[in-house]
Amino acid sequence: MTVAAHFEIEYLQYLGPDGKPVAELPQAFRDPATLLPLFKQMLYVRTFDTKSIALQRTGKLGTYAACLGHEATHVGIGASMQPQDVFAPSYREYGAQFMRGVRPREVLLYWGGDERGNDFQGPKNDYPWCVPISTQCLMAAGAALSFKLRKQDRVAVACCGDGGSSKTDFYAALNSAGAYTLPLVLCVINNGWAISVPRKAQTGAQTLAQKGIAGGLHCLQVDGNDLVAVLEAMRRATLRARNGEGGSVIEFMTYRLHDHTTADDARRYRGEDEVKAAWTREPVLRLRSWLTDAGLWDEAQEKAWLEECGRLVDIEINAYLETKVQPVEAMFDYLYGDPPADLLAQRASAIALDKAALEKRNG
Amino acid sequence: MSKKFLLPDLGEGLPDATIVEWYVKEGDVIRLDENLVSMETAKAVVDVPSPVSGKVLKLAGGAGDVIVTGSMLAEFEVDPSLPQRAEGQDTGHHHGAAAGHDAGHGVGSQDPAPDDRVVASDEGGAIPARGVPAPQGHADGTAAAKRDDAGTVVGAMQSSDAVRSEAAVAVGGVKAMPAVRAMARKLGIDIARVQASGGDGVVTMDDVKRAAADGSAKAGAAPKASPADMRAHFEATRAEAPAAAAQRSTLSQSGKPMRTQPPGVQASGQPEQLKGVRRNMARVMAAAHAQVVPTTLCDDADLHAWIGKQDITARLIRAIVAACKAVPALNAWFDGDKLVRTLHPHVDIGIAVDTDDGLFVPALRNADMLDGNGVRAAIGRLRAQVEDRSISATELQGYTISLSNFGMFAGRYATPVVVPPTVAIVGAGKLSFDVVAVMGGIEVHRRMPISLTFDHRAATGGEAARFLKALLDDLARPQ
Amino acid sequence: MAEQASNAPAAITLIEAITQALAYEMRNDEAVLVLGEDVGVNGGVFRATAGLSATFGTERVLDTPLDETTIAGLTVGMASQGMKPVAEAQFDGFMYPMVDFIVCHAARMRYRTRGRLTCPMVLRVPWGGGIRAPEHHSEANESIFTNVPGLRVVMPSSPARAYGLLLASIRDPDPVIFMEPKRIYRQYKEVVPDDGEALPLDVCYVLRDGSDITLVTWGAQVKETLEAADALAKDGISAEVIDVATLKPLDFATIAESVGKTGRCVIVHEAAKTAGFGAEIAARLAEECMYDLLAPVERVTGYDTHIPLFRLEMKYLPSVDKIVAAAKRAVAHS
Repeated sequence: MTVAAHFEIEYLQYLGPDGKPVAELPQAFRDPATLLPLFKQMLYVRTFDTKSIALQRTGKLGTYAACLGHEATHVGIGASMQPQDVFAPSYREYGAQFMRGVRPREVLLYWGGDERGNDFQGPKNDYPWCVPISTQCLMAAGAALSFKLRKQDRVAVACCGDGGSSKTDFYAALNSAGAYTLPLVLCVINNGWAISVPRKAQTGAQTLAQKGIAGGLHCLQVDGNDLVAVLEAMRRATLRARNGEGGSVIEFMTYRLHDHTTADDARRYRGEDEVKAAWTREPVLRLRSWLTDAGLWDEAQEKAWLEECGRLVDIEINAYLETKVQPVEAMFDYLYGDPPADLLAQRASAIALDKAALEKRNG
Repeated sequence: MSKKFLLPDLGEGLPDATIVEWYVKEGDVIRLDENLVSMETAKAVVDVPSPVSGKVLKLAGGAGDVIVTGSMLAEFEVDPSLPQRAEGQDTGHHHGAAAGHDAGHGVGSQDPAPDDRVVASDEGGAIPARGVPAPQGHADGTAAAKRDDAGTVVGAMQSSDAVRSEAAVAVGGVKAMPAVRAMARKLGIDIARVQASGGDGVVTMDDVKRAAADGSAKAGAAPKASPADMRAHFEATRAEAPAAAAQRSTLSQSGKPMRTQPPGVQASGQPEQLKGVRRNMARVMAAAHAQVVPTTLCDDADLHAWIGKQDITARLIRAIVAACKAVPALNAWFDGDKLVRTLHPHVDIGIAVDTDDGLFVPALRNADMLDGNGVRAAIGRLRAQVEDRSISATELQGYTISLSNFGMFAGRYATPVVVPPTVAIVGAGKLSFDVVAVMGGIEVHRRMPISLTFDHRAATGGEAARFLKALLDDLARPQ
Repeated sequence: MAEQASNAPAAITLIEAITQALAYEMRNDEAVLVLGEDVGVNGGVFRATAGLSATFGTERVLDTPLDETTIAGLTVGMASQGMKPVAEAQFDGFMYPMVDFIVCHAARMRYRTRGRLTCPMVLRVPWGGGIRAPEHHSEANESIFTNVPGLRVVMPSSPARAYGLLLASIRDPDPVIFMEPKRIYRQYKEVVPDDGEALPLDVCYVLRDGSDITLVTWGAQVKETLEAADALAKDGISAEVIDVATLKPLDFATIAESVGKTGRCVIVHEAAKTAGFGAEIAARLAEECMYDLLAPVERVTGYDTHIPLFRLEMKYLPSVDKIVAAAKRAVAHS
């Protein structure tokens, strides 16, 4: 038989679910001390996530997409990027975004129904949260194309889910990345579920990573709950991109420990046993073990740090809650750089209506 | 009957082909679709089938001859007893450029093609009747047939070298190219006030841009969409600019009296199409004139007995109500077609209000139920609404009788116009102090001239006179 | 492109005016690039980008893979990172996969980020019917975009306006859908100086002065409308012809001013009647010009059918006769 092409998909895992190494750790991430700050960041993200769910349940936040269980993947992706790079999230990767300089209050403003949440004060060129599934992957490809054409040392990183890897735009992105040799990293965060549809119903492909083969990209599958593996995979992919070797698809295997969003109830379609089992593989647990075994962490430190996380997150929550609603003209002020007269007329009429309503209320 | 077979375009825009070999000779009988001839083109060697069943009358050349696409290849005597193919319809496709002239298929025209097209093959695909010239050096095949760029990858596009240019358009007496006028609007410039530097008084693009830069011709009327508060970085609406004064003189430079226009030119005013209220008035008055039979009674109301300063309009309203109660015939609607009269139990008075834009007649509803204060308040509200043009169309109709208080300005008696379907209108003229003769001498009384026009189809003179008396009696009361 | 031997610029077709505008802007702004299917060596299937690849290289004239989603997504991605991509959709009928990126991202980028990110892109597309093309190559689909906030929809009707409006569209900081009536791509030539002068967006172009009736139209129908105006003039009816040019945002003031003068309006468009863009203009006339109207507003449009294949195509498109008849009805009304 003549083989026209063949492929292998490498799988990376360095720390097992119990926190014990299962392979020789890569040079860059061998020292637990360098990973301690990222572990603390993971705890911070989890604290934020828990409080955000509580905000929604108490009527102070609109629908919210929790990131419980994804902390290693998210924080690891964000930590692996440079300031000049561009990040294109879906709508869940707060851990990555906080590493990029997005603030929790901005996340809350967005889910709280205020567009100003998308006006990141930190990473000015990062993409906002993206509802049309996987379109962020293709926009990131466009960004990567602009970097390449302008000969800039910048990488575009986009995240989508296992469901997102089925979408046209994902395929268009990986095809573009291959056709133009783009500095693009496509992160497929496989958390097992696309709302109620399990991973195995999404595609006949054996792995999601291998979809990149169709675009001629480098592909890796990674234990997404192993921070070391995440960091190593991202290190390789961003290095390739910066060296002009083109794009990558990384499939991060993790698990969605919460519902799809606060408007979803996962108990309708998945069993408790599966979730319980997933908790034994969760990222904080194994990293905690590894760091504790290395003598760098203990219960007392965790208790103190969690309290501090709570305090810091509360500052952000209060900032969000105290932010006044935008004036009605905000609806009109960001449609065109050069707004047409008809629109300005509608703007004036909306302002007048608002003023009249206010006067009426004030009697 | 004989049929000429023209060489079809054998491969998307090929100008000609070379005969390699005939499969028949003159005099042979050939059947539909049997091979007729083998032709060599720039692309390939192609067998061409016969388009008909019949006898071969003539062949256009021998082996090695070049036949131009569209010229005759063979002629047949069609044998109707043998199977034939239906005439195809022209699909209008022109592979290659349409030789620089109109394809002849304007919008709204029909298939099949007009007669100057000849259907060259049974599949359709009309080609121009005249052929395309053969390229040079064909025999050794080195000059490949140059395929003209169709300019489209599908379909057939009208293509022409004709040059057109747009002319300056004279709108409102100002000549400018459409693009210049558009730029003026974009920049908020009143093009009528721009100094024209183009030939023949045409306003140029530079003229407009210069006017925008030096602010010399800002548009007068604020655009409808001017918001109450704008953020700093949006353009504010333009402020009004003073109108340029026209320089005129009654004497020419040589001291002779001047015409306003040279002879043969029409009068100098600018025709203005009536709009809005004024337009409406013209139509309503014309309709009234056509339908109503107007008769006017005039008299004077004696206000000598009035105590204190009183609101004249309010007194007039009350007097009209009193008169309507005394003579309901004048508080009615009349339908002249059906000859139906409707007496109203309520009194809604249409009050004529004069504005710069024209005449408004808002309705003072239920005048018969309002007291003095109520009347004053209602009139005030109506006037304010008219002034700021917030009055709705429903407020401007449905009154049962009208009042025109023209006496505020000048005029004693008038023949005010009755507006159908009402049948009466009261006109109040200018108050004056008149010398009146009374028993035993002369006095000076304050009086108000009153004119009552009524529609004589609907009311009698007697009714009108009694109405007028009731009106005058009420007006004469002290308060 | 032909060299200019003399100082006088050559007369060029609409499609050549497009090429001329693209070349001018690419020479003068290195952020501008062109992408689409077959735009490179082939110069585009209508030759809109002929010669650009040779002049500016393959990093400024990109052939894309065969996928409209890809074109739209890459364009939005590049535009949101500071470039000025001018994308080409090969045909109107192929645009639909792009609608997702146009509506969900291009039209919203400035809005959702409160101006932090913007999308200064142009999407050019050969538009409309009348070239006897196969299915899906003759769509007059402007109404899909005219209802989307945050977009501009621009349609030239002459070589000069194609040049000037395309320059303006490329320079505009927001997304523009630039619809080029393919029926008149090569219909005649006009002298268009290559001076880089943009024409104003967001305003109508009054092409002909008249006092009895206002004919409002856009795209290839400008041709038939002007011919109708000539025919009406022979019957003593003076028609004012307005080319809307920028459909969105609409310059209604010019139309209102004209109808205020004439009192009558006929709107002509190729697209199907129901919910076509003529409905918007007719509604505005009813809202704001009711007392100026002497006759009902009429729309002369394509039927509410798909544009037929070419054997019937010319019966579908609004003809000079249909426009003249509608105008005469309006004039006879009062």
